[in-house]
Amino acid sequence: MELSEQQKDALSELINIAFSRTAASLSELTGRRVLLDAPNVAIYPVGELASTLSKFLPAEVATVHQVFTGQVAGDALLLLNYDGAITLTDLLTDEQIRSERLNVSAREVLTEVGNILLNACLGVFGNLLKVHVTFSVPRLHLETLDALLRSLVVASESLRYALVVYTAFHMRDSAIKGYLVIALNVSSLDRLIQEAEQWEERQGHN
Amino acid sequence: MVGRNLLEAYPDLVTRRLDEYYRDALERQVRIVSQRLHGFLLSMPGIEGSAFTRMQQSARIAPLIEDEQVIGTITVIDDVTERIEREDRLVALLANEKTARAEAEAANRAKDEFLAIVSHELRTPLNAILGWAQILRTTQTNKESSTRGLEIIENNAKAQAKLIEDVLDASRIITGKLRLDVRPIDLGPIIKSAVETARPAAAAKSIHIETALEPWGGLVSGDPNRLRQIIWNLIFNAIKFTPNSGKVEVRLQRIDSQVQVTVKDTGQGISADFLPHVFDRFRQADSSRARTHGGLGLGLAIVRHLVELHGGTVHADSDGEGRGSTFTVKLPVMAVRSGETSGTQDASRITEAGAPGSANSPASQPALNNLRVLVVDNESDAREILNITLTQCGARVMTATSTREALEILEEWEPDVLVSDIGMPGEDGYSLISKVRALGPERGGNVPAVAVTGYAGSEERMRLLSAGYQVHVTKPVEMEELIIAIADVARRTQNA
Repeated sequence: MELSEQQKDALSELINIAFSRTAASLSELTGRRVLLDAPNVAIYPVGELASTLSKFLPAEVATVHQVFTGQVAGDALLLLNYDGAITLTDLLTDEQIRSERLNVSAREVLTEVGNILLNACLGVFGNLLKVHVTFSVPRLHLETLDALLRSLVVASESLRYALVVYTAFHMRDSAIKGYLVIALNVSSLDRLIQEAEQWEERQGHN
Repeated sequence: MVGRNLLEAYPDLVTRRLDEYYRDALERQVRIVSQRLHGFLLSMPGIEGSAFTRMQQSARIAPLIEDEQVIGTITVIDDVTERIEREDRLVALLANEKTARAEAEAANRAKDEFLAIVSHELRTPLNAILGWAQILRTTQTNKESSTRGLEIIENNAKAQAKLIEDVLDASRIITGKLRLDVRPIDLGPIIKSAVETARPAAAAKSIHIETALEPWGGLVSGDPNRLRQIIWNLIFNAIKFTPNSGKVEVRLQRIDSQVQVTVKDTGQGISADFLPHVFDRFRQADSSRARTHGGLGLGLAIVRHLVELHGGTVHADSDGEGRGSTFTVKLPVMAVRSGETSGTQDASRITEAGAPGSANSPASQPALNNLRVLVVDNESDAREILNITLTQCGARVMTATSTREALEILEEWEPDVLVSDIGMPGEDGYSLISKVRALGPERGGNVPAVAVTGYAGSEERMRLLSAGYQVHVTKPVEMEELIIAIADVARRTQNA
């Protein structure tokens, strides 16, 4: 399944707005400047997700995962390199001594932050496209990327193709590197593309 | 609580911006409230015995949905006080462990550097010894060069013996096996002898050694050999780090109940960074291979340890590199009590050994030949006994019944020694000595003074010595001890 250039443009613009909002939230939380790469939009068969993403992501990741349901449904993931996750929580909690690992409290902090970032992103989607989505409780996973993605596939049987939107962000003066990934099932994908095209048309008229 | 709006019941939710989380929940979002970021969600009293006044919480706020409609929110709060305390303890433990490890590693590095220096320093004299031994054995040498060779061998062997002695001392210090042979000692002669020993080394660099030793300033309780080692190390250290034609100043002063020895040089000084580490073992400011000064970096560490064993302190001052350094040793003054006559004998023995010709041995009871002694006591019987006894010993005695009278006689008659009772009605012996010392040297204010008192506590003795008395004799007075004490303070004043 391929996206036309026009569809890609529409989605990219929409996502750009959403991810910028995420970056702004992170910047506000940490008081540091957040640099955002241009987001990549592509559709992959779910079976190839792991091999595709592993090209960009380190093996050891801390992932905040939220399932969203409604007219558009899927999985939203915030992935951080493990050391970056530690740095981020230290930064937020004003820890003076660098932590060695993520203890329960640090994981909770990471979950709260991931939750805020993911909702900032998806909230923009919902608002712009005027679709309702409901969120599950966010979960933090500390496992290999491969295992995480496998669990996604098993959890939603309708997930044959996934729209993968990812962008890398870097925080200035620190080694925090993160990725936002949104995976949608096929019916949601059709719906999203349709809504995005309509949105772009509306934008064009204004 | 029932029937009240949540934000009214907990107005701080708004100020802490947690009301947004509830608003998000009404928008179908789920919110996590982590303890580390917020501490708690709703204020509740802490657990008794916990470090927190409030219960530590983590919480989730979720929308309550019925038939696709949001009809409210659900909040689940976990009490995590114990978990937080456990985690904080772990973090503290980890931090402690890290510090300890860093210190251990630094000590280990210092030891490695030290070993490198030791092997280098020990090899240097060995090279000279072996080299000259070979020359003397294998080649035909004339009388002159063989004498020179033997001299070099001897000097290098001595230098090496000193290095080994330092290493052994350091090892004794580390293992706590260093013992002091303590007795009453006058520091003056010890300093004099140390300076004499150092003169050749100083002369080789045209360094001038100046001494300013206060008379009867330095009676301490200590090990004479170790005290000499302290002074030696400081003086040699000063010479080592002072460039040619510099100056080293050695001063002995009595300041309150302390004897203070300062060794000041015009040498290269100590940088502020290194100042706190000068007394560390194995440390020299320059531990690089290209060090300009030899030695093991043990001398000052040994000094500090020895001074501390004597109950004293040592510290270093410097205005910075190139501006000289001052080392100050402070030792507690020894309180002379009756019955310590053997102490004064030891002190004079040191004097004999250290500065020949300056001592007259008080082996037999000393005669107070023509010494002018002013006796102050309000009790006539006591005055009488002292007058007769001291006169029989050859002293010229005048007596006073009060502080006022004593001061008058003192200024007019200029006695050699003042002997005063402490407990007197009105102005006592403390008042007397402070007035005497206030007179100044021209008016006899420096007269050596012996206190006679019934109080024998160590605090009292300290107080007497700080007030200005040189020696203290306890009642009932053993006449022989009093005579020795008078002779001793008089002699020390004359020698100074």
